Parts: sequence; C-alpha cells; structure tokens
Amino acid sequence: MADEVRLTIDGLRVTAASGATVLDAALDAGIYIPHLCHHPDLEPVGVCRLCMVEIEGRGLTLSCRALAEPGLVVKTESPEVDMVRRIAAELLIVNHHADCLACSKNDQCQLQRIASYVGIDEERLERLRRPERSVPIDTSNPFFDHDPNKCVLCGICVRTCDELQGVGAIDYAFRGYDTTISTFAGRPIAESRCESCGECVVRCPVGALRPKRFEQPSREVLTTCPYCGVGCGIYLGVRGNRITSARGDRENPASRGSLCVKGRFGHDFVGHPERLTTPLVKRNGRFEEATWDEALDLVAKRFAQYQGDRFAALSSAKITNEENYLVQKFTRAVMGTNNIDHCARLCHAPSVAGLAQSFGSGAMTNSIGEISQSACIFAIGTNTTAAHPVIGLRIKEAVRRGAKLIVANPKRIDLCRHAEIFLQHRPGTDVALMMGMMRVIVEQDLVDQEFVDTRCENFDAFRESLAAFDLDFVERTTRVPRQKTIDAARCYATHRPASILYAMGITQHTHGTDNVLATSNLALLTGNVGKPSTGVNPLRGQNNVQGACDLAALPNVFPGYQKVVDPKARAKFEAAWGCSLSDTPGLTHTEIFDAIDDGRVKALYQVGENPILSEADSTHVEKALEGIDFFVVQDIFLTETARLAHVVLPAATFAEKDGTFTNTERRVQRVRKAVDPPGEAKPDSWITCEIAKRMGASGFDFADASAVMEEIAALTPSYHGISYERLENGGLQWPCLDRDHPGTPLLHSQKFATASGKGKLMPLEYKPSAETEDDEYPLILTTDRSLYHFHTSTMTRKVDGLSALHPEELMRIHPDDASRLGIAEGDVVEVTSRRGRITVRVNVSDVCPPGVVSATFHFAESPINVVTHCAIDPVAKIPETKVCAVRVEKREAATPPA
Amino acid sequence: MTERFDDLQARAKTEWQALAESPQPRILVGTATCGRSAGAMEVLGAFGEQLGRRGLDCLLMEVGCIGMCYAEPIVSILKPGRPGISYGNVTPEKAAELVEAYLEGDDPLPDDALGTVGDGRLDGIPALSETPFFAAQVRRTLRNCGVIDPANIDHYLAQDGYRGLQRALATTPEEVIDRIKRSGLRGRGGAGFPTWRKWQFCRDAKGDHKYLVCNADEGDPGAFMNRSLLEGDPHALLEGMLIAGYAIGAAEGYLYCRAEYPLALERLRVALGQAEEYGLLGDRILGSHFSFRIKIKEGAGAFVCGEETALIASIEGRRGMPRPRPPFPAVSGLWGKPTIINNVETLACTSLILRNGPEWFAQYGTEKSKGTKTFALVGKVKRTGLVEVPLGITLREMIFGIGGGVLDDKPFKAVQTGGPSGGCIPASLLDTPVDYDSLQAAGTIMGSGGMVVMDNETCMVDIARYFLDFAQKESCGECVPCRLGTKQLLDVLTDITEGRGRPGDIELLVELAEAIKKGSLCGLGQTAPNPVLTTIRYFRDEYEAHINQKRCPAIVCKEIISSPCLHTCPISTQAPVYIALIAQGRFREAFESILEDNPLPSICARVCHHPCESKCQAGKWGAPVAVRALKRFAADYAAKEGIGPTPPRAEANGHKVAIVGSGPAGLMAGYRLAVRGYDVTIFEAMEIAGGALAACIPEYRLPNSVLRRDVERIEQAGVKIRTSTRIGKDVPFAKLREDFDAVFVATGAHASRKLGIAGEDAEGVLDAMEFLKNVNLNNQVELGRRVGVIGGGNSAVDAARVALRVEPCEEVLVIYRRTREEMPAFEEEVEAADEEGIRFHFLAAPSRVIVRDGKVAGVECLRMELGEPDESGRRRPVPIEGSEFAIELDTLIVAIGEHPADDFLGEAHGLSVTRWGTAKVSPETLVTNVEGVFAGGDIVTGPNTVIEAMAAGKLAAEMIDRYVRGEPVKREYGLLRPTRYEPPVELTEEEIEGATRPATPTLPVEERLKGLAEVDLPYTAEMAVAEARRCLRCDLETVHAKCALERIQSEGESHGG
Repeated sequence: MADEVRLTIDGLRVTAASGATVLDAALDAGIYIPHLCHHPDLEPVGVCRLCMVEIEGRGLTLSCRALAEPGLVVKTESPEVDMVRRIAAELLIVNHHADCLACSKNDQCQLQRIASYVGIDEERLERLRRPERSVPIDTSNPFFDHDPNKCVLCGICVRTCDELQGVGAIDYAFRGYDTTISTFAGRPIAESRCESCGECVVRCPVGALRPKRFEQPSREVLTTCPYCGVGCGIYLGVRGNRITSARGDRENPASRGSLCVKGRFGHDFVGHPERLTTPLVKRNGRFEEATWDEALDLVAKRFAQYQGDRFAALSSAKITNEENYLVQKFTRAVMGTNNIDHCARLCHAPSVAGLAQSFGSGAMTNSIGEISQSACIFAIGTNTTAAHPVIGLRIKEAVRRGAKLIVANPKRIDLCRHAEIFLQHRPGTDVALMMGMMRVIVEQDLVDQEFVDTRCENFDAFRESLAAFDLDFVERTTRVPRQKTIDAARCYATHRPASILYAMGITQHTHGTDNVLATSNLALLTGNVGKPSTGVNPLRGQNNVQGACDLAALPNVFPGYQKVVDPKARAKFEAAWGCSLSDTPGLTHTEIFDAIDDGRVKALYQVGENPILSEADSTHVEKALEGIDFFVVQDIFLTETARLAHVVLPAATFAEKDGTFTNTERRVQRVRKAVDPPGEAKPDSWITCEIAKRMGASGFDFADASAVMEEIAALTPSYHGISYERLENGGLQWPCLDRDHPGTPLLHSQKFATASGKGKLMPLEYKPSAETEDDEYPLILTTDRSLYHFHTSTMTRKVDGLSALHPEELMRIHPDDASRLGIAEGDVVEVTSRRGRITVRVNVSDVCPPGVVSATFHFAESPINVVTHCAIDPVAKIPETKVCAVRVEKREAATPPA
Repeated sequence: MTERFDDLQARAKTEWQALAESPQPRILVGTATCGRSAGAMEVLGAFGEQLGRRGLDCLLMEVGCIGMCYAEPIVSILKPGRPGISYGNVTPEKAAELVEAYLEGDDPLPDDALGTVGDGRLDGIPALSETPFFAAQVRRTLRNCGVIDPANIDHYLAQDGYRGLQRALATTPEEVIDRIKRSGLRGRGGAGFPTWRKWQFCRDAKGDHKYLVCNADEGDPGAFMNRSLLEGDPHALLEGMLIAGYAIGAAEGYLYCRAEYPLALERLRVALGQAEEYGLLGDRILGSHFSFRIKIKEGAGAFVCGEETALIASIEGRRGMPRPRPPFPAVSGLWGKPTIINNVETLACTSLILRNGPEWFAQYGTEKSKGTKTFALVGKVKRTGLVEVPLGITLREMIFGIGGGVLDDKPFKAVQTGGPSGGCIPASLLDTPVDYDSLQAAGTIMGSGGMVVMDNETCMVDIARYFLDFAQKESCGECVPCRLGTKQLLDVLTDITEGRGRPGDIELLVELAEAIKKGSLCGLGQTAPNPVLTTIRYFRDEYEAHINQKRCPAIVCKEIISSPCLHTCPISTQAPVYIALIAQGRFREAFESILEDNPLPSICARVCHHPCESKCQAGKWGAPVAVRALKRFAADYAAKEGIGPTPPRAEANGHKVAIVGSGPAGLMAGYRLAVRGYDVTIFEAMEIAGGALAACIPEYRLPNSVLRRDVERIEQAGVKIRTSTRIGKDVPFAKLREDFDAVFVATGAHASRKLGIAGEDAEGVLDAMEFLKNVNLNNQVELGRRVGVIGGGNSAVDAARVALRVEPCEEVLVIYRRTREEMPAFEEEVEAADEEGIRFHFLAAPSRVIVRDGKVAGVECLRMELGEPDESGRRRPVPIEGSEFAIELDTLIVAIGEHPADDFLGEAHGLSVTRWGTAKVSPETLVTNVEGVFAGGDIVTGPNTVIEAMAAGKLAAEMIDRYVRGEPVKREYGLLRPTRYEPPVELTEEEIEGATRPATPTLPVEERLKGLAEVDLPYTAEMAVAEARRCLRCDLETVHAKCALERIQSEGESHGG
C-alpha cells in the first residue's frame, strides 16, 4: 500500500495502513490489546476503556481512537495501563452473570478472553461488591434472547443497529448503573422496530444477545443464500446431517458478511418434516408413494406422448443455473419446443425487454457494492429494506456517507425514514412522475449534454415526448406536489454519481416496459450510466432469477440471450446438442396457462414454482391446471400447485446440492452441498436428466454440476470464462468472456450493447393502468412484500420463527378509508375484485395513502392473486399485479386479545 | 454603527435617569426563583393590593436576586431624595406594614431593614454594601441582578449594556481574542481552561460554519449561579454570546438551558426578542457585517449534559452521552463543525472585559486566577446566598466573613466546593485561597462555584456516599469505569455507612477512585471520585470508625447508629429498650434491662453527663428525651420496691484479678470479671469505696447512700473490695503481679493542676480535689466568707456549689478566662450554680495571688478577649495588656484541671507515661508496657466522665478475660443493636402534638443551701411514663429492626388468624 505508517508497539516495528488506529495496527500485527466495544465495522467510541495503552509523550491513550502515526512508540502494558484495565475488567466480571459453561458464547466470549488476559485474582474480586439484581431476559424474539444480566454495555448492538442497519431499534436507556440497552419505551424486542437481522447477535462480544437455538457446528459450508436476488455469501454450519447455524461471509462482495433475518435464521425449511421424500403418483385422485423408477418411467412415457408444442415447461428462479440449463435443454432438445418460461415473467420481464431496447442488455448495470458510494439514490418501486434487505443496507450506508436518497413509492415504506425526498405517487403513474422529472431536468438545463451528444441517440424524439408532461398534468396524475417533483429532479440531476434502483413497483404494470424505459431515460439524460455508482439497477427478486434468464428458461432465447429465431444461434445449439431445434419462440408464462386452458398445451413440467399463489388472477390458473392431461411438479414441498399434479417428484433444496446461482448484479456464485437430501429426494438436475435419459435422449450424462457448467460456458459467450475452478475463489460477474476475463462489475462503460453502441432515449407517453378505481371498486389494491416471508412462503412458513414474526397477512388500509368503511385494526374484511374475492385481516396505517390498500401474496389463506388483474404488458407480457380495483367490506370484528 | 448604538444607549439612559429622578417612589421585589420559593410573588401581590387600596402612586417593579438567599423575599423601597432601603424576610403582612409606615408615613422601620442601597445614609440602618455579607464582595457579573428589570433591555443598556459588543464590533475578532487573553479569563464552568485559547482554536479551525454554545445546564446540587444571572440579567449573557460568536467566527449560537429553569427561559426568550428588535441580534448587527442568531435548546436535566460533548449530542437530538476527545469541539463539535462551549458566567465576563478593558478585569484575583467569581454559598452557614468575590479570597473569609460562620454556631467541619465533582476541604485548610490551582492542590476543584458548608453533625462518609449516589445516578452509563466504578464506590460506601464495611475498604476505595479518574471517558467520571478521595484524605478516621468500630462519630448513619442514645452511650446501655418498657409501665423490667449493661445505675442516673441525650432525635425539634431522668426513675423505683441486685454469676473459673482503685472504672471492671467467674479483688487507698465517685462528687449530687447501693451490687457479684489499702505502701505492686493472673490499674486523676503564678502556696489557696474530698469524707475544711474558684470545668462548679454550702462562706465567685459558652462544665450544673446565687466572672485570668500576712487576700486578674478559633473550634482567649484588676477573696479554690497522681506512674511501678502525665496504654486494649497489667479510666485519659471510666472498665474486663484465657488480646466491634424487641406504643393525637419534656424536679434553692441534701428529685411514675412515650424509637427504623418488627407482626397475624 502506498500510504503506510511505521510505528513501534511493545518494541516491535509495525506497519499499518494510513488511517488505521493503533488498535487496528496492533491487532493486525498479532498483538492483542483487550477490547470490548471495538468492532472493525463500526466507528470507534472508546467506551469500554480496556484498550488503553501508553504512548510515549502522551501517556494513557485509547488505542481504538488514536490514529497510528509515524514514529509512535506504544506500550500495551505499564503499571498505569494495568491499573485502569484491571479495575475495569474486574468490575465487568463481578457485574456479569457468569455461567460460562452453559453460555452459548462460551469460548467466543470477549470477556472471557479479557479475564484470561488480565488474569483474575480471586482475592481482589472478593473485595468488590456484587450486584444483587437480576433483570428478566427478553425472550420475545423467536431467534434470539436479550439477557441484560450479561450485557457489558459496549454498545456494539446499538451501533450495529444504527450505523450498519439503519434501523435504530435499540438504544441506551436510563442512566448510571441502571443503564441498559432497550427498545423504545422498553417494549419486548419482538414488538419493536427490530428486523431480527441478527447482526447485533453476531457482534455481541458476550452472551447478552445470543441465538435462541445454538449448537456449535462441526463443520461449515460456504454457499449462497437461497432467498432474494442479493446472493449473500453464507456459511452454513452443519452438524451430522443438520444445519445448525448460518453466518455471513465477510469476503462476499455483494453482502460483505451481512445477512437479513431470512438468510440468517430462515433455513429450518431444509430439515422440515413436511419435506417431500418420495415420488408421489396420483391414482384415483389420491397421491400414492412410488419408487423413482415407477415415477420416472411414468413421466417419461407420458411426456413422450406430448412432444412438440403440446408440452410446456415452467422452470424456476430458485434452482441452480445448471438445472435451469438442463430443463431448457430438455424442453428444447428432447421435447422439441420453446415452450419454456419461469416466474421472471412475473417480475422482471419488462426490465429485460425495456433495458434491451435502451441499453441493449437487461440486467443491473452496476454492482451492489457501488451503491454505497453514490451521491444520490433514486429508489422507485422498490421496498428495498423488505425485499432486498442487504441492498437496503448499502442504501442506508450511502445516506450515512451523505448521499441524498429519493424514494418514490405509493406507500410510505421504511426507506422513507432515510430519504431526503419522498414522492408518494399514485400506483401506476411512474411514467408521468419520471417524465415530469425529466421535463424539469431539460427545462432547467440539467441535462448531461455531452453524454447525451456522444453516447445517446434519439434525444430529439424523446424531448418532444416531454411536451405532454407539463407539471400540472404530472401533479394531477401522480398527486405528488409539483415542488417535490422539481426538488427530486434537481436532486437527482445535480448529485453525481446517481444511481437508480427499482423493483416490481416499476415492472408489474401493463406499462411496465415503459416504466423501465423511463428509468433508463432518466439515467441517460443525466449521464448516469456506465460509470461507477450510477446506473439503472433492477433488483431481481429471487435468488437465481438472473441465472434462470441467463440460462434461457425463456421461450425466445437460448442461453446467453441468443435468439431462437436467429439461425446461427440455432445451428450452434443444434450442433452442440445433436438435434434439430424449433425456430418458433415459445409461449410465455401467462400464455402457457391460457394455452392449457384452451387445450393447446396438454402436458406441463413444472419445477419449483407455485403459480396458484404467484400468478395474477390465480383462479384462472387453477381452473386451467385442473383440466390438463398430464402435470408433473418437481418441488421440495407439496405446494398448493403441486396438489394438482399427476406426479410429484421430490427435489433437493439449495443446501443439498452443488451448482451456481447468479445474483441480481450478474454475479455467478457457487452453491455447495451441505447436507444430504431427506429420504428419496434428489437434486433437480438428476431428475431432469433421468427423465431425459428414460426418453432415450443423449447429452444428459454429467459427472457433476461442474460438468454442466463446462457445457454452459462453451455455449454461452457471457459465461464463457466461468468455471467451478475459478468460482472457488469467489463469484464472477458476467460478461466473463474468457478464462482470463475478470468479469464485468460495470456495464456500458465504453459503449452500450445496442446495435448502434449508443444508449437509446425513448419517447414515452402516459398510459393509465388497465383497471382504475370506480364506484363499484373504489380502492386500488397494490401488492407488496414482507421482510419475513419470501414469495409464496413455501420455505419461510416452514420456519417457525419467521411465521411467528409475521404470522398472517394484514392488509394495509389508510385510517380515512378504514373509518369510512367502519373498519378497525384487526378486523377481517372481504376484498373483492372483478375476478374474485378473498378474506383478510387488516392493519389500519398510513403506510398507504387514502384510496390505496396493499397486501402481500405470501399467505395461501389470503391468496391476494385471486383478486389481482392479469392484464399484461404488451411487450413483456407481465401481468399488472401492482394495480387493480377492489372493494373492501368488513366481515367480522377483530378478536380481542386473549 | 456607533451612532446607532449611541442613540439606543442615550435613550435608555435618559429613561433610566427619568426613573431615578421621578417623584414617584419605587418598590423593587426580587422575584427570581429563590425569591419566589420564599413567597416573593405573594409579597408582590400584597404590595400591589396595598398600593391599590391606599391609592398610592408608586412603581412596583420585579427585579432579580441580590444574592441574600437567607433573607428572601427581599424588597427594596426607593423614596425620592432618600437612599433606597432593602428589607429582608418580607411577608405579605410586613408588606402592608411597610406601605403604611414608610410609604404613607415616614418611618423606615429600621429594625426590619437589611441596609440602605445607593448614596446617602439613614440613621439606624447600615449601608447594605458595608454589611458583612457584602463588604468583602466585588459584584461585577451580578452587578445588575436585583437592580434592573430583567425584562427591560433599556435598563440593561442604561447600565452601559451592549457597550462591550459595540467595542468588539469596532475591532477585529483577533483583537477581541487578544483582549480576552490579556484579561486572564479562565472558564467559569469549572475546569478553568483559558478562554482565549479555546476561542483561538475555534477561530483557527477550518470550516464555514462554526457554532457558539452557551452551557446553561447548571446541574450541581446546590448551585444556582447561572440561574440567578439568567433570571436577573439575561442580556449580560446575550452580549457575551455575541462577542464570543464574533470572535470565533460563528453565525449561530445555541443556548442550552435546563428545562427546570422555566423563569430563566422565559426571561431569555423575552431578552432575545428585545435584542432582535433593537438590531443587536440577527443580520448585520448594529450595521456591521456580523450576523448572529441564537436558538434556545431546553435540556432535560441530565447532569452529564453539562459535559460539552454530551451537550452537543443532546442539541443534535441524540441521547446525551459524551464521546472521547480529541477531536475537541473547537475542531469538530456541533454537527461536526468547530464549536465553542462556554459557561454562562464566562460569557458574562467577556462582555465586561470588552466594555471595561482587560486590565480592569485583571485588577482582582491572583496571578493565575484573574477576576471575580460567583459562588453559591449554601449548607450549614448562617448567611446563605449568591456571592461574588475576587479570586484568591480565603475560604475562611467567605464562610466566616461573608457567610457569618456556621449555622447555630456549631463547629465548622468541612466545605464541599465544585459540587459532586469537587471535594471536601477540612477546617485545617480554611485559609486556602479560592483559586483554581489552590483548590486543585487541596484535592477539589472550583467547579461552577458551589460551596456547601458542613458542620460537625455531618458524617463525611455519608457525604461522600451522597455525592457518589448523585454521580452514579447521573452517569450516562456509557463507559465502564464510570458506570460500574461509581456504582462500586457507592456500594462500598453504602456498606460502610450501614455497618458492613470491611478491612481494606479504604484502600479499595482509593484504588477504584484512582482508576475511575484515570480511566473514565468524560469529566463526570474523571471527577466523580473526588468527594471520596478528599474525605478519605482529610477524614480517614471517620472511615475507620465506621469500618473498624462500627461507629458513626457524627451520629448520622442510620443503619450503624440504630438509635443515637444507644450509639452514643460509651457502655451501650439499651436506652430504647428500657424507655420502651417504662412507657409500657413495666418498671421492673426496665430496671433489669438497665442492669444488663450498667451495674451502677443509681450512680449514672445522677451523675452521668448523658451523651445519649445530646443526639436524641426528639431533640431535633424539641427537647431530647430525658434519658437520665428515666433511668433515675427506674433505679429509684427499684430501690423503693426493694428489687434487690441478683447479679448473674458464672462458675468460678479459678483465675484471680487485682484491680487498683474502686472508682467507676474499677467497679465496672470488677463486676464484669466477677460475673464471668473471676475472683476479683479491688484495692482502694481511701477508707471508702467509690474512688472519684466518693471523693469528688458532692453529696448533693450523689448521696453516699446511693453510692453504697450500687457498690453493694458489685460486692454481691463477688468482688472483694479492700479499702484503706494503698498499693506500693500497704501491698507491694510486685506482689499483686505475683498473686494475681492480671492487674487492672484504675487509680484515676486526682491531683489538681497548679496555677503556676505567684502566691499560689499561700494559706487559703485550696486545690479543688482536696477540698471536695475533705467535704465528702467529712474532714475538716476551712473556708473564708468570700470564696473564689478558678476554672470553668465540672470541678470548679462542684467546688463552688459545695463551698456555698459550707459555713461561713457567703459568697462564691467563679473566675473563668473564656465565656460561659466555652465552659466545659455541664450546662445543668452551671444553671444550678446560677440559681444558687454563685457569681461568674468571665474573660478573666489570674495573674497573681494577692497574699496578705501569708494568707490569701485576693487574686489579681487580667482581662481577656476572644481571638481566632483554635483547633477545637473554640475562640482562643487572649490577655488584654495592662488590664490587671484585683478581686478580694478570703479563700481561693483552684480548679483548672486534674491529672493522675504520679505515685503509680513512671518509676514507681514501671508503667510508661505519656507526655501528658497519663498512663501509656494501647487505646484499643488498655494493655500497658508491663505484662499482665492493664490500665484504664482517668489515669489513661486524664479527668473524664464517669461513664467513660466505666467504659474503660468494661473494656478492661473484656481484654483481661481474653488475656487470662490465652486468647489474642484484641477488641472486636460489632453493630450495636438492642438485644430485644419492644413494640412501639400507640400515641394519641395530643401526645404527638403536645408532649413536652418535664423539667427535673429539684429541691428549692433555700432548702438546698441548708446542707448537702440531694438537689435533683426523681420523676413521678406518671411523669416518667409520659416522658418515655415521647421516645421516637429510632431503634425500630433500621433494616434489622424492621425485619424483627415485620417478623413479629406476621407471627402475631398468623397466630391471630
């Protein structure tokens, strides 16, 4: 390193990075200085006073706050140091409820280490008065306990919650000896703002915050989190064949050691007793257990009857890249059809479609790690802290570093607490809002003209389309005060680098593609593309939605987005796979169900999906599936959808197999087997290959997952340089063009992936949502996500703690609407749309503006997609789950608490 | 700029002048918080009503506080053409009186006046500025308090207010800092950091935004310097803030004031509004380029928010917790910007420095501590108040000069400066100058100026505990040494004050205190141990008494003392128990209870100086319970009822102990050894037993028959008393050592001291001891008609009263060199002497015995006056030169003190002697230098009380027992608690309201002087019961007693249920 500092510690010459503290320097040099309140992730506060050292010329000095300066002469021991440190350590020890052998932090406890370092003299301790008090332990959180009797008040938990998590659920309370770490008003942790991420538990140096269930693992396996698209690196602790713990991988560039509540505590589903453990074949309307041979032979035989376009496959954003590759290869090569899609259709199809138009490539342009260095973050249609919690941390980190955060969302989401500007626009008015902002940018001359001139095209046409968006119109349409739109536009345009983040609030609309284009327009106009900490960053929902798209679980492309209509591409795959391939793009997700409904598709192979809950207007899906000829579901649990299948094949979870996931920033990361699957369950790759082989296909014999990756790499230019060998040292971001290519954290830095190499500004017009409120259905329903559940909750509701934290759906409704409708907190209501009706309990809160209600699709008891609208975006074919018109009526009053 | 300001000021001055010259009288009522709490608002209302009712044209004005807290509410009345007059302790009734007498009439009621203010004098009323409270003060920052209307900016301007700001703006910020530098001003908040240097740091710090913060979070208990200034002269602070803001380059200031100061906040808000209106605050102040705004931030009353980094956190909306420095706020403070935090008084000083110049400011003070400083003088001092003095004045001048000394003239014990962060300074350091460095050298700090005076009824361990309790509760809890360390200190101190102190605790406290000081993050923790360290440094013996002896010398610590009567009794008589029994009418049991601890109850009931009564809690609000009279009642009851002594006796253990002397020490020791089974022989040189009881205490106080009654009890316990046996003459000392297992020497102090003046050997000069003994033993005494007694102790009074009863004496004169207040004789004896017609001549010391024909004819004396207090706290008598005068006498009795006769000490028997001529023993064990020989009583202590001698006897018995049994001879202490539980009596409403102590019945004076009949008479049973019921039963208030009570009650309930 260029900036290095040399100093002397205990006579040893030590080199430290410039900016490092004396404590850092000592610890790096392997010199232990006792400390409790120091944590490398946090600002030093110097409250434990244990790290005192003597610095020549300065006397007693706190090493955690003193910068390592050239020539310092540091002594970690002296009579004075010892006196202060010994007394502090002794005081801590006599005030600590020590039951070390029974404590889950035994052997990892910093106080133990200090005690052994300082050396405990029983006679000296005997002189001291011991406290008589014993404070109740807060056991309200399902995952961890808070035991104030063991607390050393180092404040690491408070600072973690504040500095790192931006949550601020806990702080110091009271004074003097009564000082304690407390939630607001001393409520149980479970009733506080705490998000149960467990970051405090991890950092607690003693047993004050400790996991409820703790067993030391006998080994750890580094893998990738199975929940959202952030792709956090995670060490699964394993003992025998059980997962006992999870911790973040500090080396992972996406997550840097952070985990959310699901990633840290949400793995009980793996060993859950309801796992599918044997193939099931439906006979006379009832499932019967079958052997693999029986089941696979049956599937092979029946699939053989539907080769061609009567067959369709729905792959999964949850299975590995290799498995997706195999499913699509099976569909295309063995079944001879392009009828393959997966749930990306329901989330980010418009991103792929839209960004392909403007940038030439439909993925996050930048990397997660860059977000924290942005000067401005425009987060629209993303409830990041709930859906992508670890990216949420990067946003909060950026704000802490001084970035301006603009949140645009119909709901007052948690991020708003950190926002400079909050634009609460009406659902479905994103184009109007962003075009309004761009009009301000153009009118106020805040355009990055040089960027537009040199790297963009179509500016004039775009500019003309702004004419329709005068600010009166924008204000009327979005209901955002015009000044806020102006402020937001100025803020975004003047703080560079600026980064746009969005998620399903942008995509799940009939004009989802337009929404995406609006974001890319905004970025192009201000030159916020192709540079670090800028860009347009669609946050992919599921762990491997990016990989499932990359590996062509899509009806129109081969792996690496090579179009099926492209003869050259087709020829390449025909050659590789040794078969002829269809040149007709297949049916999309929503179209497949229509085709089943009208009899065009007779057989469906569905891997790890639960469309009964996830598909808009799900009644329609259920009806279609009830009439299908042959329906095979491959999954880990008997989901709502699997119950309709003819054959159910038990699959392995992420923890039970090898492979790779590609996260939202295009990072391909390893998934490693930690435990064996239960019973007869098998990895999806094995199942798919077995079906193919039993149908007489070749090309499905792979020694292991890495062999599949080799085939992928050979055929997929953007994955060309990727191999398991390379992935051992961490993930690689595509495009990774050859074995020496370092991967591409930042897209479009030189040129865009469009044909012309230029970014295309797209003229847009405002299109209202397909369904808007009227007298009969006076409220707009918009869907959202809970931090504690994932997708259709197949996994998360199998985790007791997550279920405890969010046990049932609570539809949010504004107090004005609630009082008008005579609805009170906790009442059960009926929600009716033109398509169906569900019952759900309500939460009266001003998270939603008047006229808008919102609910998640996590709960089968309140299947919100029964009422959502399946009007689709004409380009991306995504249904409009973010906007539909509903009526809400009270059904029964809240049950009073017992 | 200047013109603009001059206009403002000229207008204000004109108005002020008009006010001063107005024919309308003015009434100024001090309505600061201190005044209000004493009823100033009611007084204000009363004046308003009176003026209205009488139709008087008079201006009624509210002003701040002039600092005489002891005299609140204070009102000044200014009548045209006269000096103003300040009145103290004004009530609404007094207000009416004043209006009538002085405003309507012309009588200034001089008796109610504190003094005159302003020019001119009035007969019979001193000038306020010359009264002791003000004479030594130099009021600069407080100059306007109580003089101007704090809600009127013109009043401030008229006193040259804002002139300092105008001068500052006329020069450069650098020059302003330089002037502050030359003034020598140091921070008045406590740490005393040079103000200019702090300002310079901030001025030099990089940054566009800088902040000035005024710390008005005055949190020390007993401190109210800032409040008074804020309430009485808010503009003085605003002006200082403006100057500081200008000097450091800040455009924004925060005034952080605790929300508990509502009046101050109100006055500040008014002042801010007026200053803005006048263009003294806001944009382009007085037309300059300097703009400045001030925001008020109300603090929630956390003591730690006085610490600057915690204060910053609090302003920023975070929990008030300090952070380590560096970076210092001057570099990175509020919102991360360079910030200066100054105390209210510091800022008020800067406005004066800019107005009057640094040299003016520095004309007072010491070399390193310049200027004046305000102090809140509180606690046990006569004149509490807010005072401003030049730095360098001594503590003595402040406490005894300005403060008038200790309340109720009790001895001064210590003064705590600097609040909970400071320390206690003892009497020996009263001459310490009050400046930053001297106070620090004494182990304390100046702090913000709190000064709490303590008298001898303050327990220093308890005081340390009190301050630690405060510091501990106010610790922000963030850093380990402060949070846990102060709690540990508190726990140890609590243990000590509750009798659970352990050996080594003092060392532990010191070690903890040092570690906390060195290890804590902020000033709170770094100074919190100061009260512990200073009290240990100066009052270590009190700690030791608590820890080692389970005694609280100041009789304060509840759990240790149980009840003060029990705790103060040298032989631990269980007064609460026998008083409770008397209250229940169980007189026999009461007597038996007394006997458990005291085998000489009849004697003690007459002659004990009853320390038990001195600290009686009932005495705090009325008269102490008459413990001795109750004992007398019980003892007399027993004698009358023939309740014989039935001493408990252990089986003879075969060991023999010899006791030399049959005084109270010898009798006590003999009794206690005998009941343990020892074969005890007491050798008495006189022909009767009793020692000093028999020889020195006059018959009218202790009749011989009564003495015999108690001596018989001792004998019945098995003690053999061989009278007329002088050791060394009749029996060789060596023989005693041979024949007995141990020897206790308790021969008392019977030799009178000599005057050491010419003529002392003349005929007719008697020594008091001889005289008393001769009377008691019915030996011949020869007195003249006029008898003089020299001395002020009990022997002197005894001799005087006896002399009056002896023919042909007609007249007795006691000559004493100090005053009656200093007389060591028991108060009641002096009173009785008075009643009997004995005359006293105080402040006179004999210089020569006038001898005529070899016989005494009189005594020549020098007049004395009282000088400075000596170590004992009593003022020392100093002879007035050339003031000789003669008193004619026929007999002169010398009673100036006694000492042990030397026949037993030194070479005679080989016992070591101290330089005071007493036996040298280990005070804890009474062991002498001779193996097996113990000594106690007056021979060790010099002349002392009966009960102390008995205590020595008790201890001797204990130690001899250990010695003989071969156990380590050491004294063990435990908590004193009554050995039995007696429930409290139910009192009627009337008893609670109206019970008083009955006077001891006495023989009429004319009867007394007829002979030597006993003067004091016993209570009747009725009186005794009534008096016993007055006992507050302190013994039931300790935790242990409560437990016992609860246990008994619950047992009772369970039985009853």
